[in-house]
Amino acid sequence: MELKGRHTVKANPATLWTMLMDTDTLSKIVPGISRLEKTGDNSYKSVLEIKMGPVSGSFTGNLEMEDIEEQKGFTLKVQQNSSIGNANAAIKIELVPVNADETEVAFDGGAKVTGLLASMGQRILGSVANMLTKQFFANLERELQTRVSA
Amino acid sequence: MSTNNGNGTAATGGPIGKSVKRVEDKRFTMGHGKFTDDIVLPGQTYAAFVRSQYAHAKILSVDTSAAKAMPGVVAIYTGADVAAVNGVPCGWQVNFKNGNAMKEPKHPLLVADKTRHVGDAIAIVIAESIEEAFDAAQTVNVEYEELPCVVDAFKATQPGAPLVHDDVPNNICYDWALGNPIEEVNAAMSSAAHVTTLEFINQRLVPNAIEPRCYNSSYDAINDKYTLYTSTQNPHVIRLLMCAFVLGIPEHKVRVISYDVGGGFGSKIFHYTEEALLTWCTKQLGRPVKWTAERKESFVLDAHGRDHITKAEMGFDSGGKIVALRVKTYANLGAYLSTFGSCVPTYLHGTLMQGLYTTPKINIDVTAVFTHTTAVDAYRGAGRPEATYLLERLMDLAAHEMKIDPAELRFRNFIPPFDGVNQPGYQTQVALQYDSGNYHAALEKGLEMLGYEDFRKAQKESANNGKLLGVGFSTYIEACGIAPSAVVGSLGARAGLFEFGQIRVQPTGKVTVYTGAHSHGQGHETTFAQVVADKLGISMDDVEIVHGDTEKIGFGMGTYGSRSIAVGGTAIVKSIEKVIEKGKKIAAHLLEASADDIDFANGNFTVKGTDKSIAFGNVALTAYVPHNYPKDLEPGLDFSSFYDPANFTYPFGCHIAVVEVDKETGKVALKRFIAVDDFGNIINPMIVEGQVHGGVAQGVGQALFEGAEYNEHGQLVNASYMDYCMPRADDFPIFETATQVTPCPHNPLGVKGAGEAGAIGSTPAVVNAVIDALWSGGHEVKDIRMPLTSERVWRAMQN
Repeated sequence: MELKGRHTVKANPATLWTMLMDTDTLSKIVPGISRLEKTGDNSYKSVLEIKMGPVSGSFTGNLEMEDIEEQKGFTLKVQQNSSIGNANAAIKIELVPVNADETEVAFDGGAKVTGLLASMGQRILGSVANMLTKQFFANLERELQTRVSA
Repeated sequence: MSTNNGNGTAATGGPIGKSVKRVEDKRFTMGHGKFTDDIVLPGQTYAAFVRSQYAHAKILSVDTSAAKAMPGVVAIYTGADVAAVNGVPCGWQVNFKNGNAMKEPKHPLLVADKTRHVGDAIAIVIAESIEEAFDAAQTVNVEYEELPCVVDAFKATQPGAPLVHDDVPNNICYDWALGNPIEEVNAAMSSAAHVTTLEFINQRLVPNAIEPRCYNSSYDAINDKYTLYTSTQNPHVIRLLMCAFVLGIPEHKVRVISYDVGGGFGSKIFHYTEEALLTWCTKQLGRPVKWTAERKESFVLDAHGRDHITKAEMGFDSGGKIVALRVKTYANLGAYLSTFGSCVPTYLHGTLMQGLYTTPKINIDVTAVFTHTTAVDAYRGAGRPEATYLLERLMDLAAHEMKIDPAELRFRNFIPPFDGVNQPGYQTQVALQYDSGNYHAALEKGLEMLGYEDFRKAQKESANNGKLLGVGFSTYIEACGIAPSAVVGSLGARAGLFEFGQIRVQPTGKVTVYTGAHSHGQGHETTFAQVVADKLGISMDDVEIVHGDTEKIGFGMGTYGSRSIAVGGTAIVKSIEKVIEKGKKIAAHLLEASADDIDFANGNFTVKGTDKSIAFGNVALTAYVPHNYPKDLEPGLDFSSFYDPANFTYPFGCHIAVVEVDKETGKVALKRFIAVDDFGNIINPMIVEGQVHGGVAQGVGQALFEGAEYNEHGQLVNASYMDYCMPRADDFPIFETATQVTPCPHNPLGVKGAGEAGAIGSTPAVVNAVIDALWSGGHEVKDIRMPLTSERVWRAMQN
């Protein structure tokens, strides 16, 4: 499955970068996350609760950031296991300044799923991914708002 | 709707040829069917499986420690535990062209090293309840190393393709050819005035029996005896394969019982790993173990059907006569050889390449290939639908290309009528000898029902109102009554496919019939009772049909390949003949006449030319109370017979589909479906019509709706009823059916079998109709990949 898109956020790359590198912030903005634990400089252990149409499950696994370029981007490697199937993804994330106050977040990658996720969830996987992406950016913007008002 | 009862059957006014309502339906409609899952034994345990999520992966570790500690868990076994047990066997050896035996890699009960398709079983978890088994199975932790996979039969043979089995080079199980030498076919093809070429995919189908597979195996340590309840089409075959080839248990120590079965369509012929594994487990535990497939398991485990990639060329002379047929097929076998996986694309497919035509030169070449997918085996029609699809698509396409009417093209090429008695059977170029046929008549009848001339007028007019009308023809033949032992034995079958039938006349004249055929929807309890009641001149109420229990029935080969009435029915008739012969001796003694002077008719033994007679029931009583009895005769009236057919039977017919295609959306609506079938003599026209309806629904399902889709990672992505489109009642018009009767010359009932014809004939008729509709709209399309979804038809119209 292809994961691709772009979204402009009202923040400069430096602010965004700080947020994306902070465990507490990530726990607030990644949809479905119920636990996030830093296990290394650029790696996390996670528990995610996600519902995909007829199938829902609790995913445990690792998130890793590779090819990190400060304030410019990184590749996010996701390996998640659950009783309804496993998911593997590699997503390249780039932060491109639009102007002094805005940054475009571009992401491009693919995910591979197995088990029930593949046999029963495939049909709706794309729309689930779109929804999760939307939620992520909505959460991110809400978090930015909180910071501004604080 | 019209049915003739031809000669060859008793013209006694008895039950043969009448649309008797199915006697078994009382229990089914009232919820009293007895299915395997209904059986709960004392001390019952329940199994759930840990199955591979990957199409191809190394198993690095299997950790069952957490699962073993879960509540209710009785035992967990993994591949290592059954490493010494044999795998499930294949029942038919096909050789490579060079004479080498096919590649037969082990199909283990549980995999230990590598998984080879999604759903491959890694561990079995047995618990006190099904819920506890499921919960524990979820906690078994499997560490995989994913490996590259291949799902396409052609790609799997290419250099560098991932191997399914390390010892099977290029994933090729065998290559095989049949027919005339290829040089002769090539020469004939190059002399042709026109060659029609078609490259197509006969897509993979999921059988979808309504009752999921279910097994319940138990072991009695005191008597060292096993009982396996199983949802199968052939309990004796399962016993033979499991005992002799997998577990090494003496057959007399195993009883296999298959009561009511909710549909098979071929998918319950095969000996599956779960049957043997549960039987192995029950001995380890001393408790019965039951497993019922979940629907999601049925999708990825029940052997799939079809999945051929084919290039076919048909050459014609300038008069439209076929001069040659050349076929190359890549047949996908899945990851393992299923019980009959090897014979479906060869001896049930290549042997049908003659069709109904006088084609003088034919060569078919088949490469059978392992891929990282579910095993492929017989599914309603098994090889014959693929053959019919190939030939009938070529015929309609050739008609379009050569601008000859498709019906006319068939009339020019049909084998002339022959009854197999006064005219000999027809020797094909591809090994078989057809028994009897009248192909012209079936098509003529179909055209008459269609109102062909009026249809072509309506077709021209329809183009003006946004719809394209099309008609598609399919004049099919199939080889049924599977199978003559001598023939199939010489072709590599590891067992002959005769049938057993026993008639036990009870002292009161009531009759119990034991048949090795197995009913899983076919209505044997009715049809066989009609035969017995008719032949013995007794009431159907006095006849009981017993099937599906190896301890009650002497032997049996089961039900598939439209064989039950032609082979099983004949075995019963043979036993009836023995009953009547002995009955005549008893009657002769009682009536003080010679046995040669006794006639048997309408349930009475009569001295010829007199009114001296004695009823069947009195003769039966005398056989069991032999106070006044012939000195040289044993008491009792109980005979069994084994019947091995002399040849296959060859039902044939003409299916015609009329479709309407929406020009804007590509949506196909099936407007009419006409089926003229020749099944030889018919015992119960209503049951036969029901078989045609079900078969046509499945065949149209393939044409328009169904198809198993694997993605490039080997995941079956439509493994549920939300994703896999099944045909529904509102997709169909009222079917217009008719039968004609060309009796089978080599069995006493003159019957040919009716179970698969609907699925064999209908698919190409529907696709041909859509193609015809498109040609009528100026779109000269050769092929649209099945299923013909609106999108695919719309795209075909855009080019």
